[in-house]
Formats: sequence, C-alpha cells, structure tokens
Amino acid sequence: MSTGTRVAGQSLPRIDAPGKVTGSAVYAADFALPGMLYGKVFRSAEPHARLVRIDTARASAMPGVRAVITAADAADVRYGAAVKDEPVFAPDVVRYVGQPLAAVAAVTLEAAEAALAAIEAVYEPRPPVLDLAAALAPGAPLVHERWRAYTAIPILQRDGNVCNRARIVVGDVERGWVEADHVFEHRFTTAMVHQGYTEPRAAVAAWDSSGQVTVWSNTQLPFDVQATLADILAIAPSKVRIIVPGVGGGFGGKLRIGVEHFAALLARKSGRPVKVMTTSEEELTAAYPRQGTVIELKTGVTRDGRLTARQGRIYFDTGAFAGSGPGVASVATMVLAGPYRTPNLHLEGYAVYTNKTNCGSYRAPSGPQANFAVESQMDIIADALGIDPLELRLRNIVHEGDEGPTGQVLTAVGLEECLRRAADAIGWADRRPAPGRGKGLAIGWWTTTGGSSGVYVKINPDGSVTLNTGAVEIGTAALTGAAQVLAEELGVDLADITVISGDTASTPFDFGAQGSRTAFAVGNACRAAAAELQRKLFELAAAHLKTTEDALALRDKHVVGPGGRVSLAELARQSQVSGGGMIAHGTFIAPGTAYDTKRVEGHVYPAFHSPSFHAHAVDLSVDAETGEVTIHKYVVAQDVGFALNPIYIEGQIEGGVAQGLGQTLSEEIVYRDGRVLNANLTDYKMPTTLDVPRVESILVEHPGRVGPFGAKGVGEPPNVEPPAAVANAIAAAVGTRITSLPITAEKIVLAHSRDAAGGTH
Amino acid sequence: MSRFEYHQPESMADAVDLAARFGERASFLAGGTDLIVQIERGRAAPGHVIGLGRVPGLDRVDVDGRRISLGARVTHRALERTPALAGPLRCLVEGAEVIGGHQVRNVATVGGNLVNASPAADLVPCLLALDGAVSLVGPGGERELPIERFLLGPNRTARRPDELLTRVGFSALPPRAATAFLKAGRRRAMEISVVCVAARLVLDASLERCLEARVALGAVAPTAVRAHGAERLLEGQPVGGEAFRRAAEAAQESCRPIDDVRASATFRQHLVGVLVRRALDRCVERARRAA
Amino acid sequence: MAKIAITLTINGEPHEALIEPDRTLLDVLRTDLGLTGTKTNCLDAECGVCTVLIDGLAVNACLYLAVVAQGRAITTIEGLASSGDGRALAGALHPLQEAFVEHGAVQCGYCIPGMILSAKAYLDDHPRPTEAQVREALAGNLCRCTGYQKIVDAVLAAASRMASSAVAS
Repeated sequence: MSTGTRVAGQSLPRIDAPGKVTGSAVYAADFALPGMLYGKVFRSAEPHARLVRIDTARASAMPGVRAVITAADAADVRYGAAVKDEPVFAPDVVRYVGQPLAAVAAVTLEAAEAALAAIEAVYEPRPPVLDLAAALAPGAPLVHERWRAYTAIPILQRDGNVCNRARIVVGDVERGWVEADHVFEHRFTTAMVHQGYTEPRAAVAAWDSSGQVTVWSNTQLPFDVQATLADILAIAPSKVRIIVPGVGGGFGGKLRIGVEHFAALLARKSGRPVKVMTTSEEELTAAYPRQGTVIELKTGVTRDGRLTARQGRIYFDTGAFAGSGPGVASVATMVLAGPYRTPNLHLEGYAVYTNKTNCGSYRAPSGPQANFAVESQMDIIADALGIDPLELRLRNIVHEGDEGPTGQVLTAVGLEECLRRAADAIGWADRRPAPGRGKGLAIGWWTTTGGSSGVYVKINPDGSVTLNTGAVEIGTAALTGAAQVLAEELGVDLADITVISGDTASTPFDFGAQGSRTAFAVGNACRAAAAELQRKLFELAAAHLKTTEDALALRDKHVVGPGGRVSLAELARQSQVSGGGMIAHGTFIAPGTAYDTKRVEGHVYPAFHSPSFHAHAVDLSVDAETGEVTIHKYVVAQDVGFALNPIYIEGQIEGGVAQGLGQTLSEEIVYRDGRVLNANLTDYKMPTTLDVPRVESILVEHPGRVGPFGAKGVGEPPNVEPPAAVANAIAAAVGTRITSLPITAEKIVLAHSRDAAGGTH
Repeated sequence: MSRFEYHQPESMADAVDLAARFGERASFLAGGTDLIVQIERGRAAPGHVIGLGRVPGLDRVDVDGRRISLGARVTHRALERTPALAGPLRCLVEGAEVIGGHQVRNVATVGGNLVNASPAADLVPCLLALDGAVSLVGPGGERELPIERFLLGPNRTARRPDELLTRVGFSALPPRAATAFLKAGRRRAMEISVVCVAARLVLDASLERCLEARVALGAVAPTAVRAHGAERLLEGQPVGGEAFRRAAEAAQESCRPIDDVRASATFRQHLVGVLVRRALDRCVERARRAA
Repeated sequence: MAKIAITLTINGEPHEALIEPDRTLLDVLRTDLGLTGTKTNCLDAECGVCTVLIDGLAVNACLYLAVVAQGRAITTIEGLASSGDGRALAGALHPLQEAFVEHGAVQCGYCIPGMILSAKAYLDDHPRPTEAQVREALAGNLCRCTGYQKIVDAVLAAASRMASSAVAS
C-alpha cells in the first residue's frame, strides 16, 4: 500500500497502547485531586415552563455540602457554537427536561445526590413544542421568544423556531422536472441517537491563588472550551487552563462545554477542587446527540437513469438550543446532493428548535441521515426504471475535475474505484443469492474539516523527539499518525517520538479533534516543523561536516553529508549549549476551497475540503417472520488518499460501521411528551460483539493535494453509508422498503405483512 | 452513611430469623444483579440486606432419581455447566445462557431470578414449562409452591417477607420428550426479552403424536404465564402442521402484552405466534433425534 | 450503619479499607484504593467497563458489594502484567495485553481493561476458542470504537500464543 515511505504508511502499533492495556492511562473520569469535592447538577423536570422559584436553602444546610449554585452565581452569559442562546442555568424559562437549574458540591457523591433531592423547583408549565411538526406549524409557540436578540453567526437565516435555513441552488429544478421522464418523491425519517462513548463526560476544576482555574476534562476541543468557560466565568481566556488527560471516546459528543462550567463554578464558590461526571441517564437526556430528522426528497431522472434535478429538504430537530444545528443543516445540503452530477439542485437544511435536549455533532453530522434518504431513493429509482442500482450510480457519479454542488472543482476523486471494488467484493453479480437474502450498496462523500493546527517539535540531546501539540487523542490514533509523518520527515523511528498534547497553557492552538482533521492537520504542521528543524540542523551540520547545506540529507537519525555524518542527538546537544535548543514551531491551516458564493445562502460549510469518497456493500438475510436481520458480509471501500497507518484506518472503518449499524438497526432515544423513555443502557441498545459482522476494508488511495503524503480525513465517513446500504439490502432481500431509522425488526415485520396483504406505505 | 445494614448469617435458621425480625424492611442478597441495581436506582430501599453467601447448602444441584433440585444460589453459569441439564432439559440452559453477559451469569442466581419475578425473566418460563415448584422456608417451616402460584404480578411473588426461597425443583423428562427455549429482542446479547417462549413436549411411541405439552410465555403478561389453551390443543394431537398452528394462535390469544419502549403489543403478539410454533417444531426435532 | 473494616485481596496483595457496607467494589477500588484501571460508566451491569475477576470469574464490580468480595481473590487490570506493578516493561505484558497492542485492538482504550479481563477469564477456561466463542465471551463488554473485530483477532492470537507456550512448558 505505502511504497517509498519508511514510517508513514506502516501499520505500526499506536504509541499510547501500553498505558491503555495496563490500566495506567488516566482518563478525565479517573482524574482526582486531594481534597476534591463531588459535584452534581440539578435538572429540570419540565419540558417547557417558567421557573417560578428554585429553593436551595435545605440543600445548602445538608451535611457535607460545601457549595450550591444557581443562575445567580453565573454571569448572565449565553453560549453556543452558532447561536449564543444557551445559559449555564435556566434563569427564567426552562426549555427541556434535563436542563440544568442548579448544582451542588459535597464531600461525597452520596451527599451531593442527597442535596439534589432537597432542592425544590416550582414550575409554571407552558405548552411544550414536542416535535418538528409542532415547531413548524403556523402560529406555533416559540421555544425562544427572544430569538432575535441572540448573538449569532451573521449569515444564518433565522426565523422563530428555525435557527438556520441553509440552501444550495444550482440551475433551475423546474427545468429539471420538465427534462425528466420520471419524478420520484419520498419522505424519510431518522431518530435521535447518542454517540455512546463508554467514558462519561467528566471535569475536575481547581482555582489557584492567582485567579486562574485549571480544568482537567475529556473535551475534544480544549481551546473552544477555554473560550466558552472564560465567557461564563467572566475572566480572560488566559486565566483558564484546560488540560486533557485522556478521552474515552468522543465521536463529537465531547466537543462543546459539558460539565466543565459546573466544576469551575462550584470550585470557585467552595474554594476546593470539584469533580463533576455525568451518569448514563444524563448522557441520554442532556447531552449532544445526533438530531432526528425528516427528509423530503424529490428527484427527476431520464428513462435511461440520468439525474436531471433534485429538490431536497431536511429538517433537523435540534432541540432546546441551537447547538450544532445551524452548521449541521448546512453540511446536510452537501450530502443531499451526493457525489453525483446533477445539473439542477434546490437543497435546504433547516435546524429547528423543540423542547427536547439540544443536539450537537455526532461523527459525520447530517451524513447518515441525508445519505439514508439519497441512497435509498437511488435504489427505489433503479428498481422502478429496471436498471441495476450499481449501473444507475455509475451513470451519475462524479469524476475527476467535475464540480461539486457549490461549484468547487473535485480532485482526487476515487469514487468509481471504490464503487466497483465494493460491488465486486460483495459479489454484486448475484444480488439475491437465496430467498430472504439480498445485497445493497450505498455511496457517499465527506469532508476533511479545516481549521489551524500548531506544533512545537523538539529534538532532545538523547536523540528522542518531542511532539508538542494542542490536539487531543480521542482514540483514532490520529496523533500516532501525525507522529509517523514527523518520523518520516526527520529520518527517525516512531519509537523515538514522545507526544505531549492537549494543554491550552503549554501546547499551541489546535482547532480540535473534529471533522476527521487531526492526523491531516497535525501531520502537516509536523511537516512544517520538520522543514524548519531540517534548516537548523543542516546549518549546524554544514559547519560540523565542513560542507554546504545543499549536500546534506536526513537519514537514519543522522544528518549525512559527502564526508561523514553527525547524529541528531549530537546536533541537539550542541544547539542546547550554544543555540537554545533544537526546536521548531510548525503550523498548518488548510487552504480555502474555491466555490461559487452565489449558489449558497445561510451556509456555514459551503465546500468539502480534501473530500473523501466511499462505497459500502452489504449482504444480509431477513427472517421475515421475526424481522431479525443477519449480516453475512459487509464491505467498505474508502478513498483515504494515503493510508498513514492502515491498521488504525481499518479500525476507524470497522468501528464506524458498527456504530452505523447501531443507528441503523437498534438505537433511538425515545421521547414521549418531552420526556425520554429509555435513558439507560438497558433500553438504549448499542451493538454487542454478537451484533456486528466482520467488515472487509478496502483502502483506496487517490492522493489529495493538501494532506500529508496525500492523506484525507478518514474517521467520520464510515458512519455515513450503513443505514442506506442496509435498507437497500433489506429491500432486495424481502422486497420491503423501510424509510425510517432505526430499521427495527418490528418495522420490518409490520411493513412486510402490509406489503404481503397488498397495502401501501 | 450506609443506605442499609448488612448481615451475613451463617445458617439457614439465622437467615430466616433475620427475615422474621426485619420483615418488609429486609431483602435477601444473592448475586445482587437485580437488588443492587434497584437500590442504586432508588427503586428499592431496604434498611437491611441479608447476604446469603455464607449460608451452606443453597448452591447445590441435587439429582435424586427423577427429581432435580436447584438451590436458590445456583448461578446461571452453574446451570450452564450442569450435566443433568444438558440433554432433554436443555431449555433451562438455553434460558440461562442468554441472560446478560458472562459477568452477570457468573453471579446471578436462579433464586434471585424467581424472587425478582420480572415479567420478562428468561429462566422463569423454562421453569414453568418444567412444572417447577419452589421451596420456601420460614419460621413456621417449609412449604412448596408451584411456580404458577408463586408468581403474583410484576416483581411480586407469594413469598412472605419472613420466608427464604431455598430451592426450585422439577422432574426429569420421560423418554421421547424434549424442551426448547426461544427469545426475541432487538439485539443478540444483553437483551431483556421482547418475547420469550419455553416449550416441553412428550411424544408417543410413534413420535407422531403429542402426549403432554407445556407452553410458557415471557414478557407478554404481568408474570411469565402458561399458555393453557395452547397446551390443550396439543395434547393428543398429531405433531406439526395444523395442530401447532392452532396452538400458536391460542397462545397469541392468551397473552396480554403491553406497548412499551421495547415493542408494541401487536408485535409481541405476532412474535408469540411465531416463536411458539418454532419452539414446538424444535421440540419434535429434538425428541426424534434423541430417539 | 457504622463503617466496617474489610480486607480485600487484590492481585495477590491485601488492601484494607474502612467502608460503609453499601459501597460497591468498583467504588472502593477507584476511590479508596486509587486503582483506576477498572473503569466506571453505566453502573448498571450493561457496559462491562467495570469488569474485574473474582476467583477467576468475570464480574461487574459496579453491582458487587465490597463486603461480599472479602475473602475472595480479586484480579484487576493492574495485576495482569507479570511485573505486577502494571508498568509496561518489555516482556512484562500478559500475552493478551501484547496481542491487543499488536493487533490494533486498542482505540480510545476505555473498554480495554474490562475486555482483557473478560477474555482472560474465558481463555483460562477455554484455551482454544473459536471466533464465535470469543464473541460470546465478550458479549457483556461494549466497545464503541473498534467494532470488536481487532479485539476478537487479538484474543484469538493470544489464545494461540498461550496454548503453544503451555505446550512448550
């Protein structure tokens, strides 16, 4: 797979593995300080109400309680990624069951829990806005009466319960309908699902005598949390230090502030360190899950299967606060277009407020939902036209040099290869090998999010190399990948590199572990630092070896010249004595991707940078009587650009598919009347070892122009296609088309009986 | 401050004494996989917990001629490894091995499962299908109760607060008999049944006709229940085909499932029909294979 | 009820603690004894991150009372490496730990201590498992990162290595 590279591209063991297999790696949930108190959050019992009164006097007086805080203790500040609409504690209006109203810190967790039970809140209930239909109905009650007054990203299109409408318009869909021989219209729905990380969100906060607070947290975005926390605490960001000891999975659910503010506020009030950690119930009621959606998709095709137009609307139920809704609604329009040549597009994403937990970003936000609609409909179209679904896609997919939906020029387009190889590996020629058994395909594309990354790289006098990065390792092995890039460039081994990461005070800025960007951006920052180090090394070495710099090379932990060589260790030693040390700063920010600004409106994500392309294929059987689905084979072909570390990329694919299958077949957060019915892991059903098939990963390489050695982002894409691939295979297997997620056994059986009885759905 | 006082009696008599002393305020602790969960979630708040770990004799499996007795503290793991249960009685092993993961099965007990009396418990329909009876020991002595009379409602049994469930007993199967257990859920492990079915059939010498039938259902009524109507339609009838279809229908009619977050009542009813038919087919297949 | 003094035998060493009887083994391990290798999450026996071995059997420490664990041999992840103090000295890792490292089975790592202990308990009992048996043995340990595939591969590889060194010795 990787020719000509020595370290980058090899399946080397990740550098943090030994600590993890011996239990010595410390996660935020493990972190503790002497004298630490335990904090718990008091949460709303009503979905929509005026908070008449909150009485914490009894709680304050309870044994072991050292601090109680409410809205009165926090600055009157609202925060939020796109719209600053969220308070720390609800001051007057409560907008979802689970919204924080107060917090306590006590000497034991039990004492804190007892104090919570002693807090009294009096509510004046208001009619809750329970779902998308209710929120969008004419005359609907406003979830945020004062929405106009909120600070928001200027380009957002906000109106009442809609906190953004993003739009892509290309050509004229009316012309497209005329040119079409057939027009297909379908509606799809998807459920709210949780990232399911096994480590709860946790933070320990401690103030020092200079008025600085340090928070140890498992956030994916330490610099973002630093900024938000500084606002909340009304202090300068430089007085807030976020340190990430270790993260037990994030998948986007640990991007934004979670419990850090409660810990910091309680620590300030009590004068002692405070630890706050979420429970499973809090995760399933008051976290940042993936939005549930309704998708309306209308597509026109000619009789020989060429797409002429697509009109799509995807509505995101983003809950009580905008969260990531506005951005996700933007990205969705790119997914609705799909990696297809379609001359006329009218695509809209709406982020809508309701009285439920505010939703956030979850691995490929909007991807699985929008892709479910697009790829399901492609198969429905193929079936109706009597064209093989593989062939229909081949007739319409983008190729090198084609335009994306917003006019960006697509390069390194590995899509056709992915599609053909996935179809081949699943045995596409025999699509229905047995009764009740069928195969399905789905394709997609995704982005590598931009943002800047900085690193310091130091060569130590013993020859080891320290990589100092503001990035966070959330489990993908991205920092191992970046270290491999660094080792490659410096002519050292991976084992020579130590990584220090995730400390806003001592590591350079990093945009954070989001959008599949970490190995890409930190890797490139490492290349910049390595180039600078090479310059410094060669300057010193040229004198040492009595030659010129252009005659030198880095090889095998030495600088090598025509007459001899000198070790990096020796040069580092020399530099430390006379030059302050062998250290360099490297930065990287992805260049902007040109697109046509006239095509977009309210759009915060108008181009997919260094896009990846992928195809999933699945072979499964359906027990039509019980609705049980058995997956025989699952194949993923993913264009990764350059596989920095194949074994961990496979890991991302295998894990992403497993997570995707959970969203497809068994997971949903179920609300009734504004309350979650299944806020526990008994009834929020994530896949076990017995539920996940082996996944065959085909790593396709069409190197991009920007990433290190041509690499593209790899972490999110595997979550995108499983719902559609499975839905298509189920349709092939038993002729039943399910248009809502999750595709439960119950839905299959009920739809199948309806179909058998001649009903329609 | 501890939520409960903990006691570790070292004899059955002491255990019963403690139960008599504290009555409703006490709970017995076997494996803890139900009790500790309920205490942590605030759904149970006993002031006294009586640990049974040191009471001798509660974890024995006794095979005495045709009678099999499982001590209350026999774990699911031990059930899976009991040779006497590996043959025609295997529905019990099948019911045991789908509960939780190994971690739960290593400590969760038969007695705990019965006393907790979840409507969706997997072992209970199996014990019902085997005509199981529980032994309850109290200050006044020991009494035996068929499981059908022991189960009163969701998490409610006929055990008096001063009684300790010590064992559950049932008979070994006659020749040409077999059992089967089937379960439906949303995932393949760690699953509380959406529906489960246990069946026991005794066939005649020709292996074509059913002499005796037991069909027990889980997760479709306030307790695990026998489908008596289905049983009556099976006894004396030729196996397979029409008789099994009618029995499955009767089982569907006899259950009273609810809508909940796991499944709708309609779907549960549908699954009862499918799983009863399949369990009966499997019994026939097994009886014939063994003969 | 007043606190009671208990002695827990963990990885062969006695540890004393003064605790209320309603404390779980998980909480005592992590909070009183500072052994944070055993992880906390659902507290409901649904996820398995808190798995420890008690007399060689895998158990969810979150539902196991510390008082009940007295007199039993408790094994946590810290006790697995042969150096005993949990440090990853070369050659000191248990074959399962080595296999997890070599096969890319570790991503975020939070489920891994519980996963390794569940695997160890099973392999100690079934030295030559099939893939299906390994999956079944680990069904009580949720992983959200890996999709389980490389974990299963690592366990099978460790089983081979352990079986062949058992034969050799």
